[in-house]
Amino acid sequence: MPDRKMFWRIMRRLLAANRGRLFVILLALGTGAAITAALLNLQVDAKRRITSEFRAFGPNVIIAPRNKISSVNATTLDENITRQFSEIPYGQPVLAVASLYLIAQASPQRSGRFVPVVVAGEKVVTGIVGILVTKSKFAAGAQSQCRVGRKVAEQLHLQADGNLFLRNGGREESCRVAAVTANGGPEDNQASINLQAAQRLAGLPGKISVIQLTVTGTPAGIQKYINTLAEHLPEADVHGVRQFTEGEAKIYNRISGILSATVALVLVLTGLCVMAAMTNVAMERRSDVGLMKAIGGATRRVLRLFLAEAAVLGLTGGMLGATVGILLSMWLGKAVFGIAARPRLIVYPVAVALTIIVAIAGAYPLRRLANIRPAAVFRGEP
Amino acid sequence: MFIRLVADSFSRRPRHKLLTGAALALGMAVATAALSVSLDVGDRLAREFRSLGANLLVTPQADSLPLEIGGVDYRPVNAGAYLPESALGKLKTIFWRNNIVAFAPAMEVPADAWTKSSQTYSTPPIATHTSLIGTWAGHVVSVPDGSTYVTGIEKTNPWWQVDGRWFKDGAQECVVGKSFAARSGVKIGNALNINTPQKNLSLLVTGVLSGGGPEDEAIVAPITIAQEIAGKAGEYRRLYVSAVTKPEDEFGRRDPNTLAPADYERWYCTPYISSIALQIKQVLPGADVRVIRRVAEGEGAILTRVRTLLWLVTFASLLAAALAVGASSAASVIERRTEIGLMKALGAGSGTVGFLLAAEQLLLALVGGAVGYSLGIFLARLVGQRIFGVAPEFSFLVLGVIIGLAAAVTLLGSAVPLRRASRFEPAPILRGE
Repeated sequence: MPDRKMFWRIMRRLLAANRGRLFVILLALGTGAAITAALLNLQVDAKRRITSEFRAFGPNVIIAPRNKISSVNATTLDENITRQFSEIPYGQPVLAVASLYLIAQASPQRSGRFVPVVVAGEKVVTGIVGILVTKSKFAAGAQSQCRVGRKVAEQLHLQADGNLFLRNGGREESCRVAAVTANGGPEDNQASINLQAAQRLAGLPGKISVIQLTVTGTPAGIQKYINTLAEHLPEADVHGVRQFTEGEAKIYNRISGILSATVALVLVLTGLCVMAAMTNVAMERRSDVGLMKAIGGATRRVLRLFLAEAAVLGLTGGMLGATVGILLSMWLGKAVFGIAARPRLIVYPVAVALTIIVAIAGAYPLRRLANIRPAAVFRGEP
Repeated sequence: MFIRLVADSFSRRPRHKLLTGAALALGMAVATAALSVSLDVGDRLAREFRSLGANLLVTPQADSLPLEIGGVDYRPVNAGAYLPESALGKLKTIFWRNNIVAFAPAMEVPADAWTKSSQTYSTPPIATHTSLIGTWAGHVVSVPDGSTYVTGIEKTNPWWQVDGRWFKDGAQECVVGKSFAARSGVKIGNALNINTPQKNLSLLVTGVLSGGGPEDEAIVAPITIAQEIAGKAGEYRRLYVSAVTKPEDEFGRRDPNTLAPADYERWYCTPYISSIALQIKQVLPGADVRVIRRVAEGEGAILTRVRTLLWLVTFASLLAAALAVGASSAASVIERRTEIGLMKALGAGSGTVGFLLAAEQLLLALVGGAVGYSLGIFLARLVGQRIFGVAPEFSFLVLGVIIGLAAAVTLLGSAVPLRRASRFEPAPILRGE
């Protein structure tokens, strides 16, 4: 069809006629698309990052015995529960520490003065969908190692590499102090040793008092995981550490709200910017339109021509810009969070589509060209 | 003549000017909103983080080792040291007193509790062994400067929810933990009998507490009751302080003892958690103030990241606003090529023409910027209200930045086409080529 051939020929001419102008438009559209893509990608990624950032607060889910009695001889859980819980799927790795607490007499010398100290036997359990990895927090060696809290070290005059003797009801364990820790929490008043050693000391083989889980995810995701755990582990009491789960949910909502709001504002602005650029272009086309109408072009066909031009420009600018934008967001993610943002494929078509829409919307003032009287344009009237 | 030309330009093409002005105002509105929100968000978020609870823990310096498992201290009542409750008003006299959001002292005593409803005809009352946490709830603290301040555990631990109501300060009342209530069958309105080797008393249960921690197993009562049981009137064992802080940066992490006097002054007058801890230590003699690292550091890391992110987004919005405004002012200059040609043909120099157009654009920038600013403040209030429930504070800084930005951007945007226009020969333009 010659009509169609002619259409594309005019299109080519329109685009190629003024290289400088083409460059300016592509730049405007491309910048818009780049900002759109970068922000959208960063926004999705940042929300995810913030949730893992929350894990600096430490464990947020607790698995404890159901009928807890507030006494030193608290009821315990069977250690096998760690195997059970690691078989429950969750999208992300979960860090779990199984502990047994007891109060034992401690002293830096075998024959010294013994003082009561809280001893925590700890074992790290990492559960990733069916794979159970257990590892000790302490280096393997001939003599078992332990870490002591700052307050304990102060009271017992302990130093790193010193010895610590623990006694409980005739049973005795000894360990070498690997480190003195200070974090302001209750850990400052504890000595932590290997789980097996603590079980021997307490005379409770295969028992633990509590499992502390560090679960990454959105507040809703964590709550769902807690519910699944509670279903699968009827003998235990699974609950979130309210202090963190609740606070996090609140803060997460605020942060994601503020992020969405600012990103939306910027997107509106970017659209405005591109539209302003496109309007300029449209107004410059007055004489072209005048000529076309003078030689018999119907307003509708002329309009279609210019809209097609805008769409082609939007597509090219959008594709170039979105690519740049996604690369940009990866770099920005690295700058803010230390890890490059993962590119999201969905962002790409969304950014391109938005650019095309904005480009066509920017050509909207061309509608006014329908009112142009060719004669007036040729006379040079405004 | 100059003013007449400018006025004429505005009155002759009001629609054009309105369009450019609207683009300018809209761009500046978005920039204003983004800027005011991100200026304000740091403080707002820092306060929001206080929902995580206390970030400072005060204990007696000469204390014996706490035997604490799951938040319950198993030490006998007479072991360890105590701090005087009467000195706590001084916390509101330190340099960063306004940053101290809440504080509450606590003292735990082991106790046996039983209630009439757990007694049936056949069985004698079953006493449940638990711990009684004495603390403040809605306590009025008198500050040495004569004012008063209301604080309590419900503010330091905002995730503690009470079904019913909190006990009245100093009354013979208590709230019971959720699990304790389920275990012992205590209900709101019951009288709870507390037996300890030292004392027997009866408390009215006013609420059921759920906190998700060891407090669910305990009884929470006014601190005076715990003091009475322990025989330590006016003393406490632990103090939780919740303070709004600035995330520690490189400077904040330095050891204050090694700082030069000027740097020390700066460190002391910055609300770093460590400097607030030092100031608390100065007003509470014999106390050991510890930073709860888990809370403080997690908070700092997140705050820093979110701030960087928001500044980035704000910068992007300023850039986009600049581009939008620049483009529209460029358009308005291009449209007036014929006019410029005519002026030059009549003998105006490039400088005069440029000056005239610049004055016009500046006028537009001022008006558009001001309108945009008021629009943006409205937008910022809307966003702030929706997200934080509080509108951002008014800042003259933003007004200055926005007007300056509007002027700079319009001038820059029109500079490029103006330069090109000044190079044109008037004749071809007037011919319409």
